[in-house]
Amino acid sequence: MATMSSGSAFEVDGAQWQSVSPKLVPVRQIGVAIGLGIPLVASVVVAIFTTPAVWAAPAVFGILLVWLLWLVPRQVRAIRYAELEDELLIRKGVLFRSMVVVPYGRMQYVDVDAGPIARSMGIAQVQLHTASAQSDASIPGLPEAEAARLRDQLSARGEARLAGL
Amino acid sequence: MTSTDHIDWHRLHRITPVLNAWKVAAGLFAVFVWQSADQLGELDLAVTTLLLIIAGVVVLGALLGLGFSALAWSRTKYGITEDSILLHSGVLFRQQRHVRLDRLQTVDVTQPLLARFTGFAALKIESAGGAGSNLTLAYLREDEAQRLRNELLARAAGVRMETDEAGVQHAPAAPEMHLYTLSPGRLVGSLALSGGIVTMLVAAVGLVVIAVVTENLSSVFAMGAPLIGAAAYFWSRFAGEFSFRVATSPDGIRIRQGLLESKARTVPPGRVQAVRLAQPPLWRFKGWWRITVNIAGYGAEETTGTVLFPVATEAEAAHLLSLVHPDLGDDRPLEVLRAGLTGDGDQEGFQHTPARAWWLDPLTWRRTGVRMTGTAVLLRTGRWWRSLVLVPHERIQSLGVTQGPWERKLDLMTFSIHSTPGPVTPMVHHQDAEATSLLLAEMTRRARNARRSAGPERWMTPAEEGSAALHEGGGFGGVLPSRVVSSAGVLPASPRAMTDDPGRMAP
Repeated sequence: MATMSSGSAFEVDGAQWQSVSPKLVPVRQIGVAIGLGIPLVASVVVAIFTTPAVWAAPAVFGILLVWLLWLVPRQVRAIRYAELEDELLIRKGVLFRSMVVVPYGRMQYVDVDAGPIARSMGIAQVQLHTASAQSDASIPGLPEAEAARLRDQLSARGEARLAGL
Repeated sequence: MTSTDHIDWHRLHRITPVLNAWKVAAGLFAVFVWQSADQLGELDLAVTTLLLIIAGVVVLGALLGLGFSALAWSRTKYGITEDSILLHSGVLFRQQRHVRLDRLQTVDVTQPLLARFTGFAALKIESAGGAGSNLTLAYLREDEAQRLRNELLARAAGVRMETDEAGVQHAPAAPEMHLYTLSPGRLVGSLALSGGIVTMLVAAVGLVVIAVVTENLSSVFAMGAPLIGAAAYFWSRFAGEFSFRVATSPDGIRIRQGLLESKARTVPPGRVQAVRLAQPPLWRFKGWWRITVNIAGYGAEETTGTVLFPVATEAEAAHLLSLVHPDLGDDRPLEVLRAGLTGDGDQEGFQHTPARAWWLDPLTWRRTGVRMTGTAVLLRTGRWWRSLVLVPHERIQSLGVTQGPWERKLDLMTFSIHSTPGPVTPMVHHQDAEATSLLLAEMTRRARNARRSAGPERWMTPAEEGSAALHEGGGFGGVLPSRVVSSAGVLPASPRAMTDDPGRMAP
């Protein structure tokens, strides 16, 4: 039992896993670059005008930036989702893996979100909300057509299998 | 009758502005003292002048509050239709709130101190819309509030109204059966034995010792605020849970509590999303348990509303648990429950953290575990701070598993059940990965079947045709439906009902 390969623990019988769009990689990388690039530039400027010891800050930001740029493609490849008869499955994470099982009948509403960068790439995020704040059922990086199809599909299935609270 | 033409609109009681005005006055007074205490001190006025100024501020505040409250009162009206309760309110920003009665989660009759002395009460209807989704009718006469509560619960339950000769509809009064009262002695004992009081006393004694030894009071002043905060917390626990009483009625569980402000809460059947029985270390000598529940709409910020019983013995806890979840779905419910409360290892079919992970949880690995029954999931955690969580299958919102790098090395997984926001977070760490995936698949299946056969939201209406048959086919045939519905309403379950039921099969 202990020798079982760890990957199969996240396998589910009858689930056909689908990947998300590879366009999510540049979208997230641009986000990371903006988020870390601004403090990086700012700390470089500060370091130039003050003591050399301050160069530690841009070094940390730089390392973090490179690491995240390397990590993002692997994270995106790890995002999988599967539509079962009664439940939606979502798998995420490389180092810290997670899987969530959301019954369609538990759905309260569906959100489709797209930020400016994602919109320019033609991808969107579909998020399923249940009555629990803990069910993190979001699928980022879906092509717009697929996001719309999934949204309608989830709404229809949720209606058909609607359960009380 | 959803159109608003035929609604009988009512007003809140005329006393409302007066009861609300003192709050405005007190608030204004507090702000005034807070903001201008320093300036007033520096002005070097006579004491009488100072008192006159303060009295003037209070009177002015009261008058302003009264005026505003009266305006607000005149713009507020409520009405009840066949399937909703409506409240229209607001002076500048008008609000029309309609709550569907089949989505009603709990009904509270609360009486703040002043209202209690004068015989008035507020009615609070909680729906499942998250925090702040309640509808409050404040204030009504006490008997009117109770009559309205009965009517709302009867309508929500789907009971037909009785019409008297004058054509006025009455909700049949729900018979109530009193179960437990929390004695003041046990409440004080439980607070004294909770870790917080011990820490607080030790800290207080330590401060006095330091102050005496160093002949310096600064440490006392520095630590004074946290101590006062802690004292306030214990006071609120004491006052809030004083004379805690539980009763059953066909409308559901009725909870009364409060020393100064009294609260009577009704939780209809099937509204409890998850239950937790918890025991701080010192309580084990007395065998006491604190029972908290998740109810949709309350959210995590509500502290007193989520307590089913503050201090219960094991037998009382088992009985109370049987009220919110009548059928544990196992042949040996009491043994399973005991294994969950105080047991460890794999007794009574609990699955726990495997031995190879002992060094991750050296103290708790034999205790951290899961057990699935025909109708619910039990999650057992904590060796010193013991805790047992029960989630009925039909109340599972979604399921999740996570695995960090260490867990992957040891082939473990952390398993959680997502419930509505509240004090109960059902989760167990470091379970065997293969067993957890099997558990996940089986739990998904059972939750699916349980959802299909779940009782109606209007708990007194007969179950829909065919749902019982689905239940039979659901893989745990023979297990009784989780709610026993009869013409007399929901039968109060007793501990006997948990043990003497030969008609069940092991899942």
